[in-house]
Amino acid sequence: MRRRWSWFQFALVTSFTALAAFMSLPILFIVNHAFKPQNELFLFPPQFLVQNPTLRNFELLFLHASNATVPFTRYLFNSVLVAALALAGVILVSTMAAYALGKYRFHFKGFILSLITLSLMFAPETVGIPRYLIISGLGMNDTYFGHLLPLLASPVAVFLLIGFVSQIPDELLEAAKIDGASHLTIFSRIVIPLSAPAIATISILTFQTVWGDIETSTLFMQEETMRTLAFYVNSLLSGLQNSVAGQNMAAAAGLLMFLPNLIIFLIFQKRVLETMVHSGIK
Amino acid sequence: MGSITFHHVYKNYKGEERPAVHDFHLQIEEGEFLVLVGPSGCGKSTTLRMLAGLEEISRGDLYIDGKFVNYLSPKDRDIAMVFQNYALYPNLSVYENIALGLKLRKTAKHDIELRVGRVARILEISHLLERKPNQLSGGQKQRVALGRAIAREPQVFLMDEPLSNLDAKLRAQTRAELIKLQADLGRTMVYVTHDQVEAMTMGSRIVVMKDGVIQQVAPPRELYDRPVNMFVAGFIGSPQMNFLDGAIIREDGRYWFSSRRLKLPLPETFGARFNHSSRTLRQVVMGVRAEHVKLKADSSLGDGGVWYRGQVQMSEVTGADLYVYVELGEDTVIARAQPERDYPRHASVEIGFQIEKVHLFDKETGISLAAPGGDGG
Ligand SMILES: Nc1ncnc2c1ncn2[C@@H]1O[C@H](COP(=O)(O)OP(=O)(O)OP(=O)(O)O)[C@@H](O)[C@H]1O
Ligand SMILES: [Mg+2]
Repeated sequence: MRRRWSWFQFALVTSFTALAAFMSLPILFIVNHAFKPQNELFLFPPQFLVQNPTLRNFELLFLHASNATVPFTRYLFNSVLVAALALAGVILVSTMAAYALGKYRFHFKGFILSLITLSLMFAPETVGIPRYLIISGLGMNDTYFGHLLPLLASPVAVFLLIGFVSQIPDELLEAAKIDGASHLTIFSRIVIPLSAPAIATISILTFQTVWGDIETSTLFMQEETMRTLAFYVNSLLSGLQNSVAGQNMAAAAGLLMFLPNLIIFLIFQKRVLETMVHSGIK
Repeated sequence: MGSITFHHVYKNYKGEERPAVHDFHLQIEEGEFLVLVGPSGCGKSTTLRMLAGLEEISRGDLYIDGKFVNYLSPKDRDIAMVFQNYALYPNLSVYENIALGLKLRKTAKHDIELRVGRVARILEISHLLERKPNQLSGGQKQRVALGRAIAREPQVFLMDEPLSNLDAKLRAQTRAELIKLQADLGRTMVYVTHDQVEAMTMGSRIVVMKDGVIQQVAPPRELYDRPVNMFVAGFIGSPQMNFLDGAIIREDGRYWFSSRRLKLPLPETFGARFNHSSRTLRQVVMGVRAEHVKLKADSSLGDGGVWYRGQVQMSEVTGADLYVYVELGEDTVIARAQPERDYPRHASVEIGFQIEKVHLFDKETGISLAAPGGDGG
């Protein structure tokens, strides 16, 4: 059966498609840019699409990286490790906090909630110095804890999850209690699965923050071997800005830094939709 | 096994002035089907939740099987509860929903399979075991929720309006099944409903509550025939009992119920109930059920029956019965009539009261004069 589209629906779909296409232009540009040979990179006016794709940019990047004192793979390893641990840590801390705050009544709950709201309003730059003092006070300079600690408490994630968890019907938790479930069982078998869409969302947000973060590497890591890929790429680009070869490497590095974001997004995005359709909450 | 004792139990919610449950004092026998009934907000769910351990008891003691359980957690009380909205775990299959309680109690795997299988057969949901709750109809969900409770084989079943989300036909059918199930299992059941029909058909004993206070505890028949106060009399039975304001007077050596329109001689047997009252004259409300109001066209009243002329306001057919609303002065009296006859609006009819069946309530307290202490003596 064919559905007839109203004029309004037609206009809506057309305009949103156009908007989506426009918003995806930068992505298209990054991908094409990474494969452009040198002459196309410097073309004026710049071209969107690559004419003669080449892998030369990546070659140059790896050549440069392999000549550095710290191998490229070390930065990559640091980044992957920190991202994975931060993701797991943020999910664990935020869901547990949200379960307690969303489902239980206790003293100072209102106070804690307003603290979380308050912390939403601080830009990361404003807390750089106190963070430094805490990290070095704890002796966490040049350790992975130094990367993780500032990221673990994520007010945005907690906030998002509280909204989600508080919508789980109380009866569900009570039924589980009567069934003999402990708090941990209720948390892991009911709260976590039912919060999956929100967890997927905060995973995307957290990964993007961690992957692109250079602050912890800059402030808390004095040893080069403890710094992350984002930091390396960033310093590489700023160091090479004026050289001609720098443009090639910058184009390749841009794509490499962007790809994991895209992959993570696609994985979790699917999960977000899936759980929303199938969870059967309500 | 499965007896319950409430010993002067109170529930005060934080920030609420009046207790939600006030001096709940009751002994529930093993294997009994007890129904808690009352209007919305009367404290039925609160009582049930205190019994389940989901709500703290503010004052008083609760015993299950003679064991003091005030501070026992829900999972250690050997109870199972069915919620109004079923509360099935949406992320688990029907099988897992039923099995979870057993799994958490470390039941052996083959034993779990056996029990879930048996419960599924009893409730005829064997073909649904692989589904998720959102792929079930309301009636099926309700069965799964029941199955979850039954599979654990607890001493006590608690149900909070488990049928209220079903349509009328399914509700009647499930009602009958629940009664049979409870009889077969022989376990204690505490069942909450606000539907008096459900209460009357299911309960072996019924607790009528209002504003957190128990009004009467009695088997269905007794509740219907001998309500202790106006609230119970009005709450139980459909259509509602007729209430007529008036007074008891003494004339010609006997007692009469008298109002502006009516003057009915009260039977001698009634005399004992207020003979020793210090006041000979007393303001009362007369309560009489529709089936005890006769239409002259249908039936006779026996000796000394008085007929009163009134006007038909409307009539209502409920299948087997016909109820005629008759205007009598400023009161409207509902009478049950033979369904074959027609009673057009504004028609003039004569009605009479089966005087030995009427109830008399104190006008101020609403307490039945027949109830202990109701004679005001
Ligand atoms: N968590 C709570 N906090 C404060 N007051 C409450 C709470 N739960 C219930 N109450 C109050 O206690 C009283 C009894 O509530 P309860 O839920 O037991 O009523 P109920 O008889 O089950 O009514 P219904 O038929 O509508 O379910 C009500 O006045 C209600 O407002
Ligand atoms: Mg209730």
